[in-house]
Amino acid sequence: MIGALLLSLLVQGQPTLLANEPPSIVAALTHETVEIREDFSGQELVLYGATRGLTIQDEIVVVLRGPGQDLRVMEKQRTFGIWVNSAPLEFEDIPSYYAIATSLPLEDIATAESLAGSGIGLPATLAIRAAPTAARADRDIRPYLDAIARAGRRDDLYAEAQRGVEILDGGLFRASISLPPLTPVGNYVAEVYLFRDGRAVASRSASLRVEKAGLERFVFQFAHTAPWLYGLFCVVLAVLAGYIAYLAFNRR
Amino acid sequence: MQVYLPIAEISVDVFLLLGLGTFVGFLSGMFGVGGGFLMTPLLFFIGIPPAVAVSTQANQIVASSASGALAHWKRKTLDLKMGLLLLAGGSIGSILGVQLFAYLRSLGQIDLFISLSYVGFLGVIGGLMFLESVRAILQRRSGGKGVGGNRRKRGWIDRLPFKMRFPQSGLYISVIPPLAIGLLVGTLAAIMGVGGGFVMVPAMIYILRMPTNVVVGTSLFQILFVTALTTVLQAGQNQTVDVVLAMLLIVGGVIGAQFGARAGRHIKAEELRALLAFMVVAVCLKLGWDLVVTPADLFEVLAQDGSAH
Repeated sequence: MIGALLLSLLVQGQPTLLANEPPSIVAALTHETVEIREDFSGQELVLYGATRGLTIQDEIVVVLRGPGQDLRVMEKQRTFGIWVNSAPLEFEDIPSYYAIATSLPLEDIATAESLAGSGIGLPATLAIRAAPTAARADRDIRPYLDAIARAGRRDDLYAEAQRGVEILDGGLFRASISLPPLTPVGNYVAEVYLFRDGRAVASRSASLRVEKAGLERFVFQFAHTAPWLYGLFCVVLAVLAGYIAYLAFNRR
Repeated sequence: MQVYLPIAEISVDVFLLLGLGTFVGFLSGMFGVGGGFLMTPLLFFIGIPPAVAVSTQANQIVASSASGALAHWKRKTLDLKMGLLLLAGGSIGSILGVQLFAYLRSLGQIDLFISLSYVGFLGVIGGLMFLESVRAILQRRSGGKGVGGNRRKRGWIDRLPFKMRFPQSGLYISVIPPLAIGLLVGTLAAIMGVGGGFVMVPAMIYILRMPTNVVVGTSLFQILFVTALTTVLQAGQNQTVDVVLAMLLIVGGVIGAQFGARAGRHIKAEELRALLAFMVVAVCLKLGWDLVVTPADLFEVLAQDGSAH
């Protein structure tokens, strides 16, 4: 795969370090699909990339974003001594997974305003996706967005790796990103940005598909496409297990 | 060895689940209780989403009650007519319970509701069991005999209409109390993932006055069919039954129950019953504490279908 990347660069021309040349970037993931099987407990992904016109001041930012999901965030309030979920707010199309890896800490690469403008980084992404909710909400949605970020970080679904991108010789770079045990299924997009003077001057994206496989896939699809039949199947299996136990232990 | 549960969508250690199944199976074999009321909270504690824990537990009880019900069926120690009546009430209760479950889930309140139900039921049951076993231990120490023999008349039960004859139990009573008991137990199966034997058996003995030799078989018969119906309804309507989780618990439970039944024959019942009561109360207090203590995060993020993030 690295060979292919290098080849594509060679076709474009010899990598040179001239600052006046328009910068460009190519990237590929080590996996195109990740399968979640019964023994899935997370997986390490590596993204390889190559740049043209990389100068010493340039930095690389890699974002891996999972499929959007609709969320309901509720604030717990004490009612009669117990904590009850109340004051719900609905959010649409919030990334179920968001990991960012950078060659320098993100705040040293670009200003918060510049990142917000280009929608790079978790706070910027959440703010953009939550705009419809903010428009119709009658209260400050920031605590809710913070709660989404906290929940994601708790499950390692939102992650930030400062210096997670390693710049190698000859304009090559490598980023490693880890998928946690709770990785949601769906279509992922990896975006790679080349930053110069605090602005993204080139970008490239690659896609990744996470899907259930094997027994996981079979059970999940069965349970969701034919739920009633699946329920019957569960009952039959349980009765059978009970019958076997009866035969094994109760027969005299 | 980790296993990824397809419906609960978390990764759990296989041996932890087998161990839990064996442990609760051991207790249920020893005390003749279903064990659902202990297993479900234990599943919460290891991180299974409550909605999945409750529905999957109903599926597990199908297996444990099936082998017991078969044994009683063979020995003819069950009152089929009474069982069918309890089952009719139980089916209505299960259907209502699953609707309530789906509605509360859509509101994002199902976890709280399950916890509250457990705190209430475990508190009452654990407390009663504890008092009962303390009394039994004290009585044995003082060499006194059991209370027994103070069978009062049924009173208001005898005045209810729609009477029916139950030859196997030697009863002639109204159909309303069995239907109501079945309804309550069916609702419990749907919202708490328990068979409900701990409610039904005392109710059959003290309210219906059924002879004790058919009580357990009849209650297992009702539990088998009500939990089977609940499993199908939960799977069909809420998609919360995890067959992989259920099978691991069943395997552990079957093995544990055999050892438990054997151990139960050799050990003093009262002390162990007090221990079980203590555990029930401990689980109740832990669930209750979690409801009252200020949570680590004052916000809860739920997927739009109501399950936890």
